[in-house]
Order: sequence, then C-alpha cells, then structure tokens
Amino acid sequence: MAYAYLFKYIIIGDTGVGKSCLLLQFTDKRFQPVHDLTIGVEFGARMITIDGKQIKLQIWDTAGQEAFRSITRSYYRGAAGALLVYDITRRETFNHLTTWLEDARQHSNSNMVIMLIGNKSDLESRREVKKEEGEAFAREHGLVFMETSAKTAANVEEAFINTAKEIYEKIQEGVFDINNEANGIKIGPQHSAVGGASGAGGAGAGGAAGGGCC
Amino acid sequence: MQKMLSRFSDVLQTAADVLAPPPTRLEDFEYHWKMILNFYQNYDESSKVHIEDTRIPHHLHQMLQLIVDEEKEQQGGTVGPCLEAIVQHKICVLDALTALAAADRPPGARSLALTTGTALLRRTRQPCVNSVHVYRPLQRMLIQCNESPASPTEKEEVELLLTLCGLVRKEPGLANVFTTPFVEDKASLLSIPEDIQKLIPIKSKVQTPKHNTLFEVEFSSNTLRHMPIVRTNGPEDGNTGSGSADDASCKSQKTVYDDNDKFLLIDLLLSYLNSADNQVVLRACEGIMIVSSLPEDDIANLVTSCSPVCEAIVDKLAVKYKCIPFNTEPTDVDNLNITWAYLAQDYGDKAMNKFQGYRELTSFYSWLDYCDTLMKECHPTIAAHLSRTFRQSFLEACAEAGVRSPRHAALATAVLAKCLRAVDAADLISEFSNWLVGEGEVPEWPLLHKLISNCLTDNHDITLETLQFFQTIIEKGTEHSIHRLVLSRVCSRGYLSQQPPLEDEERDRLNDVSLWRERERNREAMQQLQHEDHVTEQIHDILSHEGVDVTGQDGAQNIHKIVNSFLLLLPRAILSDPVGADYLHYIHDAHRHYQFWLDQTSTFNWPSESNYVDTTASSTHSYDSRPEADIHLDEAFDNYKPDDKSPDPAASFYIEKYNYPQKLPKVSTGDEDFDEGPFFRMLYKLLLNMPHQPYQINLHLTAIVSKLALIPHPNLHEYLLNPMLPTAKKTQTLFKVLQEVARKLSVEIPRIKNYKKVIESTRLQLMSEDPIYDERGDHNQLVESLIVLEEFCKELAAIAFVKYQHALQVAR
Ligand SMILES: Nc1nc2c(ncn2[C@@H]2O[C@H](COP(=O)(O)OP(=O)(O)OP(=O)(O)O)[C@@H](O)[C@H]2O)c(=O)[nH]1
Ligand SMILES: [Mg+2]
Repeated sequence: MAYAYLFKYIIIGDTGVGKSCLLLQFTDKRFQPVHDLTIGVEFGARMITIDGKQIKLQIWDTAGQEAFRSITRSYYRGAAGALLVYDITRRETFNHLTTWLEDARQHSNSNMVIMLIGNKSDLESRREVKKEEGEAFAREHGLVFMETSAKTAANVEEAFINTAKEIYEKIQEGVFDINNEANGIKIGPQHSAVGGASGAGGAGAGGAAGGGCC
Repeated sequence: MQKMLSRFSDVLQTAADVLAPPPTRLEDFEYHWKMILNFYQNYDESSKVHIEDTRIPHHLHQMLQLIVDEEKEQQGGTVGPCLEAIVQHKICVLDALTALAAADRPPGARSLALTTGTALLRRTRQPCVNSVHVYRPLQRMLIQCNESPASPTEKEEVELLLTLCGLVRKEPGLANVFTTPFVEDKASLLSIPEDIQKLIPIKSKVQTPKHNTLFEVEFSSNTLRHMPIVRTNGPEDGNTGSGSADDASCKSQKTVYDDNDKFLLIDLLLSYLNSADNQVVLRACEGIMIVSSLPEDDIANLVTSCSPVCEAIVDKLAVKYKCIPFNTEPTDVDNLNITWAYLAQDYGDKAMNKFQGYRELTSFYSWLDYCDTLMKECHPTIAAHLSRTFRQSFLEACAEAGVRSPRHAALATAVLAKCLRAVDAADLISEFSNWLVGEGEVPEWPLLHKLISNCLTDNHDITLETLQFFQTIIEKGTEHSIHRLVLSRVCSRGYLSQQPPLEDEERDRLNDVSLWRERERNREAMQQLQHEDHVTEQIHDILSHEGVDVTGQDGAQNIHKIVNSFLLLLPRAILSDPVGADYLHYIHDAHRHYQFWLDQTSTFNWPSESNYVDTTASSTHSYDSRPEADIHLDEAFDNYKPDDKSPDPAASFYIEKYNYPQKLPKVSTGDEDFDEGPFFRMLYKLLLNMPHQPYQINLHLTAIVSKLALIPHPNLHEYLLNPMLPTAKKTQTLFKVLQEVARKLSVEIPRIKNYKKVIESTRLQLMSEDPIYDERGDHNQLVESLIVLEEFCKELAAIAFVKYQHALQVAR
C-alpha cells in the first residue's frame, strides 16, 4: 500500500516490561500472557493516518536483557522514534531509564523522538512507580510521557501514534533531513520526485572550507 | 476424524478429573505425552492431514505450559518434576520432537518441533540445556534440519539457533555443548536413537548424510557420558564428570581447543548466511554477534580458531564487492547511508532501483556495516582476527586490483573511500590505513605510490576520486598513517635552511617589497587589510583578556604577519571578494575542525603544540632569518620600488625556540635539498596546476591541504603555515607554491576580457550552488581556480590564527 512517509521506530527498555506485548497489541490487537524472551530483534509494521496522510510505521522490538545489548545498539542508528518502556510494577525498570536514555542518545541521531511509556497500567494494585514520577522524569529529559497497558490496550494506539505525530511535526518544521535515510524516515513513492534534486551541493567555493566533514 | 477422537479423549479426561482428585502437574504432563505417543503408534504414514489439524500442537503446547508454570513455583532455581522427567529421560519429548522434525510427519511437524523447542528455551529461565537429554536432541534436530539448499523451515531453524546463542551468551559454559567432542560422531547425530524410533515409529527423511562441511572433521568416538561438560586444562580424565545436569558445572573455565575442534553453533549459523531470505540472514548475523560479544577469552579463541566465521564473513563481503556493476557512477557511491540491521526490511522496497548499482552497493555497504559493528561489539581477539582477515581477503585479494586497473580505478577508489569513511571500529581503521600506507621499513609502499600516481593522471575522474580517498585517509588518520603520509620527512625539520642561498639581486628585490613595509604603504589602498584589523582586534582582545601586554608582544605581531601573508597573497585587483565578509565564518569553522583534530590525535605520541607560539621576543640564534618568501604580488600591478632597504628584524621570530628535547633540530646546510616525499610532491604538483584544473579537483585538493594544516603537530605546522620559514631555494613549501600559483593567476586573469565582471559573476554562480551550473560547459576554469585560491588563503589564515590562539591558551 502506498504511503506518504515511512517512519522507523524502536522499542527499548528492560526485559519483561512488555515491549513485545505492546508491539503485538498495536499490530495484531491481541495480548500474549507468557513472556517469550526476545533475543535479537522482532519486527512489526502498521499503517496509520496523520493529517490525512498515510504513514507506514516500521517497528523494531529489541531485547531488553543486558546480554543482547550489542544487537540493540545496531538499531539506534537509523531510527526516527523510540518508545522507552518501563514497568510500573517494578521500580528497578524505572531506575534503569537513565542508562537507557544515555545509550539511546549516544548511539542515535540527535533528532530521534523518544516517548516514555509506563506499561502495565492495568496492574494498579501492584504499582510501584507513581504516574507523577514518570511525568517528572519525562519533563526533566524532554520526553513525551504516557501510561499504557498492553493487556487492556489502553493508550497503546496513542503511544505509537503520538510518537508519529511528533516526528511528523518535526518534518514540517524542517528539523529532519528527510533525504537522509539515516534519520529513519523515508518519503513514500508518490512523494519521492520532490526531494530528488536537492542535496547535490558541493558547488560553492564556501564549501571548500565549510563543507569539510571533520 | 483423528481430531475428533482426540478431542473426545480430552473430554473423557476432564470427566475423570471431576470424579478423581485433581491430577498433579506431572500427571498432566504424562497424560499429554501419552496422547502424543498414541497418536504416532496409530499413525498412517500415507495420511495427508496437516499437523495443525491434529491434536499434537495442543498436547505439546500443554506440556510446554506445564513446564513454564511449574518453574514459577520452583524455589532457588531447582528443577520442577516435569522438566526433571525430561532430564531423567523418563519422558523423552525432546527426542520425540527431533524424530518429528526429521520425518516431518504429519506434514508441518518439523516446523512445529522447531518452534516448540525454541519456545521451551525462551519461556523458561532454566531449560537445563547442559543435560545430555536436552542438548543432544537439540543438536540432532539442528543438524538434521540443516539442509542445503535452504529448507522450507529455515526461519524456524535459525530462530532455534539464535535462541541457543542467547543461552550461551548468558551461560558461557554452554558453548562446550556445541563443540567437539560433545558433538557426537556423525552417524549418531544423523540418526534417531532406536528407543525413540520404537516410541515414534515414523520413517526419518534423513537417511544418507548430505555433503555437509560440518562433518569434514572426524569426530572422536568418545561417548558423552564419559566427558565432563567443562573441559579443563588438566589431563583427560574420563571419570570426573558425567553427562547429567547435576554434575555439570556451567561456568566457563579456561579450556583448550585444538584446530581440529569444531564449534557447531557457529558453523551452523554460517550456513544460513547465504539464505535468500534476508530475515534468515539477519538472524544468523545476530547469533554470530551475540556469541562473539562474550567476554570469555576461551570462547573468543574457539570462534577464531575452530570456526571459519571471520573468513566466511569477509568472503561474503568480497563476493558482494564483485557484484557491484562496472557502470555504477562513482559519484553515486558517496550518498549512501546504510545500517545493516534495517536492511532486511528495506529490501522489499521498490526504491531499490534508485540508480544503476544501487541494490548491489546497498547490499555491499550493509554487509560492511555489519563487519564494522561486529568488530566494535566483539571480543578483542575476534576483532583482531576479523580485521586481519578483512585486510587479506578483501583489501589485498579483492579490492586492490580495482585501484590498479585504469578502467575501474575511479569506481574502485570511490567504493573504497566510502568504505573507509563508513567504518568506525579502531581495528578496522588501523588495518585499512596500514594497507594503504604500508608498514615496517618499506619506504616506498607500492599501493600508496599507485594512489599517488592515480592522482596525477590526466583522467579527472580518477584524480577526483583518489583525492577524496586521500581526504578520508587523513580524516581517519591513525598515528601511523599520518606519519607515513606526511610526517616522516617533516619530522627532521630538513626544510629549514641556515643560509638562504639567495642571489644578492633577488634578495634586494625581496627586501624591497617586504610585507612589513608594504603593509604600511598600502593600508588605504587595500581594503583587504580590514581583515587584518579584524584579526588585530581579536588578538588584542584575547591577549588582554589573558593579561598579556599587547603592544610589546612579538608573538602577537607575528601572527598578524602570518595571517596577512595569506590574506594578501593575491593582489586586490583580482580578488572576487575584497571585503572578505566571511572571514569570521572561516575562523569559526577552523575552531570546530581544530577541536576535532585535537581530539583525534590526543593519544598520539607527538611533541607538544605549545611550540607554535613564542611569547619571548629575544633573538638568540645566529642565522639569517630574513624572509625569503615574502614576495607581494601587488608588485605585478604597480611595480612598486621602495627606497628603504633595511631588513625586517621582527621576521626572525618564528624560527626560534623549536628545541624539542627528543629531537635536536636538524637544519639543512643550504645546498642540500629537502625531500618532501611523494605525497607532498603530488600535492604541490596539483596545486601548481590549479589554474588549469577543474573546480572540483581544486576544491578537494585544497580541502586536503587545509586538513593537513589543521593537524596539531609542530613541525607540520611550521612547514605548512609559516610563510617566513627560512628554507633553501629549491626546498618547496606550501607558501612558495601558492605564491607561484598566485603569480600565474595575476598574470593570466587580467588578460581575460572584462575580467572583473567575469570574476564577479563566477563567484555568484559558485556561491549559489546551483546544480545546473555544474553541468554547463562554459565555466571559466581559470577564474574558478582564482576563487578557490582566494577562499583557501582565508582558510589557511584562519587556521593559523586559531592554532595560535589555542596555543596561547594552553601556554597559560
Ligand atoms: N498485566 C500486564 N501484563 C503485561 C503487560 N504487558 C506485558 N505483560 C506481561 O509481561 C511479561 C513480559 O512481556 P514481554 O512483552 O514479553 O516483555 P519484553 O519487554 O518484550 O521483554 P524482553 O523481550 O525480554 O525484552 C509477559 O508475561 C506479558 O504477558 C500489561 O500491560 N499488563
Ligand atoms: Mg520482548
């Protein structure tokens, strides 16, 4: 199916917080009660609509276990958005957010949109992290925040779509260079004629000095 | 029918449950196991019913769930009764899965067996893989399913392999389960044990061993039961361990492997690297990366010496390189931006035909990105081995030929330059650089010479691509490569001359128009000196900010002179931008770039940069320091003859105080010529040819020189950036070369009709970066080269200034 834009996402966060379940809920609208450990990276895709435009989301669900971090790092580069997930019933998954954020910021392009997700909101009785704490962390680090439940599907659509909206706005503002695929954004087939000519560059004498890549 | 019956039996069971006390988990487990056995005891091999239409998936799923559930209740990592039954080989469900996978009966059974095995390993925390009754069926299943060419279940196969890699990553001792002699002999692994055949009486598809490199080594005939799971350095003692889970410690210990040993896990993964399905390749890549990233030395040794993984990965790179079509445009190569991990999805895209060669280039660079990423993530032993293999089997055996072939040199060089730009792993960059510039005592490295001569051909495409390659080589410079390329000769300071052997006449003439005096004279005439005022102000600001007395500083005056030497190189009359509005922009850029170089070279064992500045004014040396290179080209226009002939004392500044403790300055005796080496020779030759070369070449050429000028090495610094350096007449320096070019331009350009107009319009067009302009044929190359030189001089001045400024800060 034709799309106007394609965005690449990654889902990151500690093991067992529900990353794979969030993806499954978003792409297949179902919930998986067992923890099928992710090794390497799982892939899912779905079409959404923003501003009347078809947008294809390609989502990579990464492994949360430390042992597989080498693989996860390969996906930071080239993603336009990231869902950083913790489990509201396990405080340690919240405590690890800083490490995740550092890792993401270090390996990804600086414009990557990061959405903070407190998952398993259906388990209110076992909550260990207050919603306000999530909000505060997000505010402090310039992230968008949301609590979700992969089980009841509460806010799952919103989480993925709001991230896309944020990326879309950045594109409109010209923050993202959409011709550089390393940014995790691709223009759909019907648009590609527009972006073709630009970026040839290198012709100005000023470029002799200014354009160096160091 | 089958299905109905089994449903019915489940119902009966449920009915029985109501009457009897609820069964234990183990009883449940045994029940489902019996149902599976019943099914196969009565199985008609000619039946076409798919396995999904039988109760087998249900029973297997229930058994799996029981294991998962019991584990949640187990305390302290003990094994629950269901899993215990497997480990004890009372319920050999894993062997049954292997038989199912081998026979694929009913159709679809293989896929089910593989996914069930995978799920067991992924859903349980302690799947007891170190137990012989767990790992042997898994080994068997993997080997029996590993068909060539690709089997329809390769996705499930590689998924199981990846899962095992994951387990090894978390429990390194498990690696031994996949090495000889734990991998049993061929015959045993390719058949189903007889007791299982009795339980599951279906014919295995696997009869004759296929040609499979996995078995090219004779396995020892030791049986597993007598081997300890962890091999130690000690003498082999068959009785110390047993194959049972209880005895097997899974801690990785120092183990010894010999070259004939095999690492089954990796070897199997390798066979999936050539799959037509990119998802499968991706999984195999992930598996290799997971195992290679283990910190254990013995596993790293196992990977490098007992498996051909590094060789296979590099061979694949070479194959992909050779697939790049000849007629790919070299200029298309540079804009690619590829991450290996995302490629499998991108491949389906129709946009893969963007331009000739796009698909092949994408495939090649994504594989290179994988090599590079792997090298960054893996154990240092593997990284070293992989980068050596990369050099031997890719660079030397494959890529070098392209650079040497006149027909393919442009494309081959473009591809290699992009390779070097793309890689990031230190080992890889270092091998790459060493291949380019040579090692050891070989003074004239053949490949480097080839590249240099490629730069000097008449073929502009080759020149351009090779220059870009050199630019990358410098940007990615290692201490060794920078030394080989530019420092080896400069280090001796052989360019210095004690007595500049100037002819009397010439010396007089030079002194006549010395910069110092001319500056005074032309102050109003030359608006360009506004730059100087800018700079003066800035230096004054900085100096006074640092508490230095500005008025009395020779250092400060000296930097003024250096900056002006560059800025006043071209006569004002032919300048395209006499106002020099963007000079600050150059300073800004130089700051940024210089910081890059400081970081890049911070670990290099180079003499300190503080020698750039001399804040003492005393002149303690004896040799004549009059600037021989101080010609000013406005002379060409107004034939100025000053009457004051006294030499300029301040010019002596820059040759003082270069006393490095480790190297005494060597100063040539005047008639002995300094050999700048082939690389500088090439650069000077091209620089001299600037007026007659295409704009793009000049752009890249000057970019290389400005990179060199930024390098924080004191000798290179003075050699390139000190116009007042006393040198022998025949010793070539950057400044002399630029003066020569400026001289040529100032003679030739005024001959162009309406030259001021032409200069103005050319500048406008170049600055507009209009791609159409590039394609038009009516460029004025001469004027374009003038503009490049003009901008280049600003850049050099900015670099000199920024380095001076930085040195001042360091000095304090
Ligand atoms: N109650 C509840 N359980 C959830 C929710 N999301 C996930 N889970 C459960 O949490 C466990 C782990 O979920 P996964 O999605 O597999 O975890 P993951 O983050 O992908 O973990 P890794 O793959 O190891 O990184 C599973 O048992 C899920 O059923 C949720 O929103 N509510
Ligand atoms: Mg997961």
